Amino acid sequence: MTGNAITTNTRQPFNSRKFFGRVGLYTLLFGVAVFVMLPVAWGIITSLKQEGEYSANPIKWLPVVPQFVNYVHVFIYQPFLKYARNSLFLAVTFSTLTVITSAMSGFAFSRINVPHKQALFQVVIALLIIPNLVTVIPTFMIFSKLGLTNTYWPWILWGLGASPFYIFLFRQFFSNFPKELEDAAEVDGANPLRIFVQIFLPNAKPVLATAFILNFIWVWGDYLTPILYLSDRNTTLAVKLQSAYIDPHGNTLVTVVMAASVLYTLPLIVMFFMAQKHILQGVITSGLKG
Amino acid sequence: MAVQQTAEVPVAAERVSRRHLSRSRRQTLWFLFFQTPWLLGLFFLTIIPIVGGFIISLSNYDGISIPTTKFVGIGNYTRMLTDKQGMEALVHTTVYVLILVPLVLALAFGMAMLLNQAMKGRGFFRTAYYLPTLVPIVAVAWIFKLFLASKNGPLNSAINLIYPVGEIVWIGQAHALATVISMALWMSFGTGMVIFLAGLQGIPPELEEASIVDGANKFQVFRNVILPLMTPVIFFQLVLSLIGTFQELLRPMLLWSTTGMQGTPSKPVYLMMVHVYRQVFTFGRYGYGAAILWFTFILLMLLALLLFWSSKYWVYYTQNVEGGAE
Repeated sequence: MTGNAITTNTRQPFNSRKFFGRVGLYTLLFGVAVFVMLPVAWGIITSLKQEGEYSANPIKWLPVVPQFVNYVHVFIYQPFLKYARNSLFLAVTFSTLTVITSAMSGFAFSRINVPHKQALFQVVIALLIIPNLVTVIPTFMIFSKLGLTNTYWPWILWGLGASPFYIFLFRQFFSNFPKELEDAAEVDGANPLRIFVQIFLPNAKPVLATAFILNFIWVWGDYLTPILYLSDRNTTLAVKLQSAYIDPHGNTLVTVVMAASVLYTLPLIVMFFMAQKHILQGVITSGLKG
Repeated sequence: MAVQQTAEVPVAAERVSRRHLSRSRRQTLWFLFFQTPWLLGLFFLTIIPIVGGFIISLSNYDGISIPTTKFVGIGNYTRMLTDKQGMEALVHTTVYVLILVPLVLALAFGMAMLLNQAMKGRGFFRTAYYLPTLVPIVAVAWIFKLFLASKNGPLNSAINLIYPVGEIVWIGQAHALATVISMALWMSFGTGMVIFLAGLQGIPPELEEASIVDGANKFQVFRNVILPLMTPVIFFQLVLSLIGTFQELLRPMLLWSTTGMQGTPSKPVYLMMVHVYRQVFTFGRYGYGAAILWFTFILLMLLALLLFWSSKYWVYYTQNVEGGAE
């Protein structure tokens, strides 16, 4: 404590303006953090209450006895794991495909020189700003006529179609690879496909993981697409969480829904903490450059 | 000697150019090979739906029967003018966008500025602010419905502890706009903050130091150094956030529903896309819904063009050094 004060003093005299500035800064930052965390905390608290407790009058701030049984009910009242498996299947399939096709496109944009490449890349940029819903609803009309609704084919097709954001991300990433790498391989007679698979992909693991996780988070959380395209039988957790946990009178079992929400969100939080650096870098790269 | 040379050069040039041609052709084929998935996707999953949407917008297609579908010309477009609910939705969407977009950008930028200094716990705060963006929208809607519950909800109870005002109906006509905007801010300012923070950290510290040496105060440094250098990032975020916010659909729909998509949001948050969704999926007016979507599409593209045009007056571009492979 004393040593600390001395080292501070030798650097600079006590600056009251700076000190109070710091106190104000941390108060503000903590205030915002609390504001951000409160609703989540309330969700978790509610997931541990008895069904009668969450709407008690006057309010009961904390459960008398934490009801961990709510987390068991999540699995008993609905086949939670079945819908989780559906969500997982769609998220993994779509993310894997879109990462591969976007990486292919990004690779070609950054490493294969052909005339008018830049013009085509402008199309990618233009696609970034095409309103999503303009395509979502007509696509639904077309897919339902083709009999592709109630199947997982739309996700596979979208995955195969690549995504402009990630084409952008991969182009950016591959542009920074040293030219010597592929020159050497080209001298050895390797074609672009081999160069892509054997040199670029193995050296792009972090950005591949980033793109995969960001897409995974998106599909896992997506509500609109499954509610439009899938039926009760093969839908995802997002849809079930919204409407399935009800008692025989049609009232929502709020505490169980909150427990299910916690279980539904947890995988994403775990993923985030496992790959925090990569995820933030991915968000930054696709959001920074215009 | 001279004759020989002139005779040789064309041969060599031809050989080179033939080899070059075949090489460049090979390159083109490889380029197309790598772009095939995306180009097919672009055609079948983007262009066809957009054009198809336009064709549907000229018809009275009801989503079920093609034989009874008739060509109605621009009928669906003129219908918009007399659709009072739709026009109100357009106005409310504009209000919503004009409030939310500046707020979310300012909050994200402000928090990024606060975190862009040498301090303890920066990583902690960055993570804390980013975490809400990970929570799926359905879970967020449930959490907010609970948190904002009018009867004995925690927010109302806390407010009443401090100052008794009775039940405030957050998810209702009177506070609809504030509620949806808070939810949107809560869900999305973290992403913008992370991006702005990275942009701020890309500003060379020498620039700031130099202007301080020149006698600039903190505000002047911000106004004349930081802000201009951040305009490209602000511009990109502004474009994406305007277009995204204009298409707001799920937040009001989910907040105002109890089971499924049945709820109808209160007027201030009965937005354009909510209207489209109801036209198409509740009333089966596919043609009319497609017309509103196309109208929105044109409107947003014009808005984007306007922004791109305006960017030359306020967006400060330094030497562009991306695309190193060129």
